Amino acid sequence: MDQANISPNVKSPRWKPSFKLGGNMALITGITMGLLAAAVQGYFGLQPPAGDGICAISHPANIVNWLVNNLTGWVMGFFHAAGTKFTIHSIFVTVPVLTSVGFIIGSFIAAKKNKEFKLRRGPVRDNALAFILGFLIINFGLLWGSCPIRTAILASYGMFWAILMLGMIVLGVVVACLYIKWKVRRTQ
Amino acid sequence: MTIFADWKIGLATLIIGTIVGYLGQRSRFCTISGIRDFFLVKDSYRLKGLIGIVIGGVIGFALVNKLGGTLSSFTKPGGWQFMPMLKAGLNVTPSILIPLSAVGAFFMAYFSVMAEGCPFRQHIMAGEGRLSGIIYIAGLVLGVVFFDVVIQPYLLLLTLRFPA
Repeated sequence: MDQANISPNVKSPRWKPSFKLGGNMALITGITMGLLAAAVQGYFGLQPPAGDGICAISHPANIVNWLVNNLTGWVMGFFHAAGTKFTIHSIFVTVPVLTSVGFIIGSFIAAKKNKEFKLRRGPVRDNALAFILGFLIINFGLLWGSCPIRTAILASYGMFWAILMLGMIVLGVVVACLYIKWKVRRTQ
Repeated sequence: MTIFADWKIGLATLIIGTIVGYLGQRSRFCTISGIRDFFLVKDSYRLKGLIGIVIGGVIGFALVNKLGGTLSSFTKPGGWQFMPMLKAGLNVTPSILIPLSAVGAFFMAYFSVMAEGCPFRQHIMAGEGRLSGIIYIAGLVLGVVFFDVVIQPYLLLLTLRFPA
C-alpha cells in the first residue's frame, strides 16, 4: 500500500477503456497491417504472389525493376545491351507498386505532424556500413523473397515454409544478439 | 478498361503504405527489434507487433474469404509448396532452393540486427530524417540491381534451367 504512494510514476495495471489510440500501439499497428494486407489482396487484386499485401523487400525490388525496365535512356540501354530484363511480379508489370514510397510518405507526415522530423545522424554510426548493410540485406532477403512482415503474414495464412523461415529469422536474431554480447564482453 | 484496374492497384498500395507508415512511425514498430528486445532485455512491447501481424492475418484471411473475396490458400495439398518470389520470377521447382532461402532468411535477420531495424523500420527512419536510413535505402536500390544482374543467373544455373 505504501509503495504506491512512494512511486507515483508507476501506472496502475488496471485496464481502462479508452478511445484514444493509446495502449500498445505496436500491437494495434500489427493487427492493422494484417487486416489491410488481406483486404488489399482480396479486393484490389494483388493476387498471383500470395500474401503479398505488405512487404519491405519484394515491393522495393519490384519498383526498382519497374523503373529500370521502363525508363528510357542510358539505364535501359545499358541493361538491355547486357541482355537483362528484370523480373517483376506479373500484377506489377504495367503499374509500379508504391507501398515503399507510401511508407516513407506516411512516416514523413507523422513526423512532421508531431514535430519529430529532423535531419540527424542515424542509429548506425558509420554511413558506409549502413550502405553495405542495405546492400547485403536486400540480396539475402531476395533469396527468400519476403521481409519479416510478409513472412509473418504468410505464416498466418498457413504456409509451412514461411513458419520455417520465421524460425530461421528468430535464429538469426538470436545469433546476432549472442555475437553482440560476446563482442561487448571481449572489449571490456 | 484494364489500365484503370491496374492503376487501382498502384493507388491502393500507395494509400495502404501511407497508413501503415504513419502508424509505424507513431508506434516505433519493428519486427527484428521486437525479437531482439525480448531476447536481450525481456521487453515485449515491439514483439507484440509481430504477434499482432499474425493475429490480423488470421482474422483478415478468414474475413476476406467469408465476405466474398478470394485469397489463395496454402492449406490445400500441393498449394503450400510455394515460393513467393523465386517461383514467380524464375520458374524453378522450389524444393531445390529451400536451403538457400533458409540461409537468406537467417542472414537477413542477422544483418538487420546490425542495422538496428528491419527493412520496414529503415523506410520509416528514412522518412523521419535519419541519415543512416536514407543511405540504407540507397544501398537497397543498388542491391536490387546487383541481385538481378549477378545472382539471378547463378540461381538459374543452380536449378539447371537455362534462360532461353
